[in-house]
Amino acid sequence: MDFLGCLFVAGVAVVCGLDRTAALQLMISRPIVAGPLAGFVLGAPLVGLQVGLLTELLWLCRIPVGASIPPDDTQVAVGATFLAVSVLPPDSLQISVIIFCLLIAMPLAKCGQLFDRMARRANDTLSRRAGRSVQSGNLGAVDRMHLVGLGHFALASLLTFIVVASAGSVLCAILMPSLIILLEQPAPWMQLVFPLVGAAMILASINVSRVMTLFSASFASALLMLWLL
Amino acid sequence: MQSLSRLLLIRSFLRLFLLQASWNFERMQNLGVLYVLEPVLRALYRDDALQEAYHRHMGYFNTHPFMASPILGATIALEQRRAAGQVGTFGVDDFKSMTMAPYAAIGDALFWGGVRPLAVCVSLFFAVKGSLLAPVVFLLGFNLPHLWMRLMGFMRGYLLGVSVVEIIQRHRLPDLAVRIKEGMVVVLGGLIAYLTVATCRGAGFSAGWGAAALPLICLFVLFARKGASALLLLGLSLAFLVTFFQVVIW
Repeated sequence: MDFLGCLFVAGVAVVCGLDRTAALQLMISRPIVAGPLAGFVLGAPLVGLQVGLLTELLWLCRIPVGASIPPDDTQVAVGATFLAVSVLPPDSLQISVIIFCLLIAMPLAKCGQLFDRMARRANDTLSRRAGRSVQSGNLGAVDRMHLVGLGHFALASLLTFIVVASAGSVLCAILMPSLIILLEQPAPWMQLVFPLVGAAMILASINVSRVMTLFSASFASALLMLWLL
Repeated sequence: MQSLSRLLLIRSFLRLFLLQASWNFERMQNLGVLYVLEPVLRALYRDDALQEAYHRHMGYFNTHPFMASPILGATIALEQRRAAGQVGTFGVDDFKSMTMAPYAAIGDALFWGGVRPLAVCVSLFFAVKGSLLAPVVFLLGFNLPHLWMRLMGFMRGYLLGVSVVEIIQRHRLPDLAVRIKEGMVVVLGGLIAYLTVATCRGAGFSAGWGAAALPLICLFVLFARKGASALLLLGLSLAFLVTFFQVVIW
């Protein structure tokens, strides 16, 4: 992978990271979009799509309510896509490698919550400074400080991506030769476990009466139909 | 009453997309609110009155980012009346503080809990098929209602002022959120069944074996309700699969 590719994917990480909270919120930050987008700039959108498919449901219902910061699934998707594309041969879609890269990226991306918290703390200072500016009559400073906050969030996203990409690359180089063989046989079943766990997390957190009955009825009837067909 | 040009309102509306740019723990979206209102406040007030208006909006504010549109649209209307010397039942501060919490709850349930998971579940069918339309389907499914709420909320908020609350009540958004969530659970059931059958067939098993996924999900739900994280459940499941294939199969 060339330097330009790394630069572009870092750009995707920042833009998608900003979309999480700070700007637009068009949901290009969701793994199902951020993964293929990162894959696209690296020339392998299907790898990104596979990463997005595996990651999407896991933290879907972790809602950014008030001061709570959900796990950074955006950087998991972008980082895992970056790692997978960098270790996979061109035009390959080896699922065991993609799962391995995801397993490396997921714990590393926990630092995203830390960086996000730091950005919000830095914004506390901005809010106080803006308050002082208003008192002193310097009203134009409020707009500038608001936009500086955008910079804090962008920096948090970039740092998370750098940690996932750099530490992930090192870990992949060290662990992959010995561990990848363990994943090859169970890879198709592992591929199923991701959405199963994701679905369970959604069902556990959703506020709908008789949610398990509804889910079970839908699951059973769809399964029956697919089996009969 | 001083009229506000369309250009000013469009500037304020576009600034809504950066409402959370300086989100902070202490006062959350306060600078964002000022950023959105800034063009309007500068058109309505001068000198000390402008500084006072800035003071008014420096306080704590936090709501769902999409539901901020009707609140801030109505806030602009209230500021306009205030600048013209018309004093209504509600002050600008009263209106903002009374609406932000209920609107946040409505927005969280409707968009984060309903529309987003539903759009995701539909788009994942495309992703399973390896279609790059999946992100497009998701973005369309999510952003059509999202952008509609932002635009119409802002416009109606500005045109109706505090009466926008009645419009939101009339649309019964909390009920709609529950219906969308129920629909999402049904689609999710279909998606998981499809994935299970595809995996079973790929491994050479009958699709009927896919039924085993249901008790497994129930077990996961039980653990998740007890506080187990997605990472923990995933780690344990994958470790079990690796061990199983190492010990039993080989």
